[in-house]
Amino acid sequence: MTGCLIETKGLTKEVVSQFLRKRTCILDGVDITVEQGQTFGLLGLNGAGKTTTIKLLLGLLKPTAGTATVLGRTAGSRDALQKIGFLPENPYFYSQLTARECLLFMASLFGVPKEIARERTEKLLSLVKMSTNANLPMNKYSKGMLQRIGIAQSLINEPQVIFWDEPMSGLDIIGRRDVRHILHNLKEEGCTIFFNSHLLPDVSEICDTIGILHKGKLIAQEKIATISTQGHYKDLETYFLQSIGETDDSTQRLPQ
Amino acid sequence: MSQCLNEFQKIFAIALNTYREIIRDRIFYSFFVFVIFIILLAVVLGNLSVGQDERILRDVGLAAIGLIGGIIAIFAGCNLVSKEIDKKTIFVIFTKPVTGWQFIAGKYLGLSAAVLLMVTLMGLFMSGVLSAASPHSFGSQINSLLLPVVLVQLELLLVIAIAIFFSTFATPVMRVLFTLGMWLIAHLGGSLREFGRLSNNHPLQTLTNAIYWTLPDLANLTRARNLLMYGNQGNHEVITLITCYIISYVLILLIMASIITEHREFS
Repeated sequence: MTGCLIETKGLTKEVVSQFLRKRTCILDGVDITVEQGQTFGLLGLNGAGKTTTIKLLLGLLKPTAGTATVLGRTAGSRDALQKIGFLPENPYFYSQLTARECLLFMASLFGVPKEIARERTEKLLSLVKMSTNANLPMNKYSKGMLQRIGIAQSLINEPQVIFWDEPMSGLDIIGRRDVRHILHNLKEEGCTIFFNSHLLPDVSEICDTIGILHKGKLIAQEKIATISTQGHYKDLETYFLQSIGETDDSTQRLPQ
Repeated sequence: MSQCLNEFQKIFAIALNTYREIIRDRIFYSFFVFVIFIILLAVVLGNLSVGQDERILRDVGLAAIGLIGGIIAIFAGCNLVSKEIDKKTIFVIFTKPVTGWQFIAGKYLGLSAAVLLMVTLMGLFMSGVLSAASPHSFGSQINSLLLPVVLVQLELLLVIAIAIFFSTFATPVMRVLFTLGMWLIAHLGGSLREFGRLSNNHPLQTLTNAIYWTLPDLANLTRARNLLMYGNQGNHEVITLITCYIISYVLILLIMASIITEHREFS
């Protein structure tokens, strides 16, 4: 498949509070287009609607209005999910299972044949540097180790499109470097990557295009190359702050 | 054909995962220890009675197995789906090509396998104690306990389905209360219907009849179990009918739970 792999048109999500039936708009008419092979970073402050966008694209939530398609199919359809890898924010897995059992379980949910699943499991455990701890129950894992297993399980079906929600969360410096390497390799293999992050240096290094979500609206979608070469922005942080209407606080000093 | 097999493999994978999660939990074994304690207590109580020691052991032992099995079924069943939502493991399941019915069927089969294993172990322990306490052989004790224990397991299969059904939509406290209430009423449905009939009040009679026909009826199962327990030949037609009735009820509950899960949002 070529062309546009992820597309939302007027994507809107409202939630109704249980007590007073008050409606709150979380996403308001978001239009996103991600081409094949692109690495798209969705940026935004806490509560901007980044995770909601990913959940809508995966079918975990249903849109109030608008449409979302992934790989040319309605978001959340089984055909689309078969070719998608997902890493949730702060992933939590079955605490009594070992990492190896968990990966084999995830592979079976994709219908991957057992032999291939075993091969991929070992390969991915080695990729995320978890081979030595793979037989420990996951309730003994640190946050960073769970994050590594989360990344491995998102690649078990050799996906065409990857959705990663805060992939660097909980990782130390080496972990972040490893994830950047994995992302670079996936990019070279032609994988389409969509991820949320707060870490702007990582975003500017990895992404081709970014979108800025602010108060439920997509206020900017721009190529990284355009931001760094053409604009009058020093870096991605300046671009981001100016886009959301914030002044750069580094110029303001506390009175002595 | 291979596509169909693939879909069933997903159910098996979820079932195996659920089974592993449950049997690796230490709480599961503490219930087993508790039943052992009650059965040993029944031996002491039996020794205090006059010639009724075997009967007391059978009554108390089977009641303990049914009760503890029921407690495991209710508490594990009620938390089965909600635990996945609370711990957010549901996100990694429903972002895979898995349907609501595969998830519910897998969860149900996994918990059922764990509970059936537990009840079987309890039954074996009780047979061992009975063999030690009476001159009969171990084999004959197993034979006399086999069908009653199978009927306890049948009842628990229904309790697990009720618990899973309520766990798909009710709040934590309410789902336990609903399941306990339904389990209790299932044993008293006949009496409730009789109460309506004796009241000579038409609306009340309609209401009690409606409750009787809507909620499951386990009174016949208990009756059949008690008859089998004391060496009476059970009516195989009745047992087959009860089995079909419970399987149908389980299927209806699981289908409803699957429909709710399929249409649910996971925020």
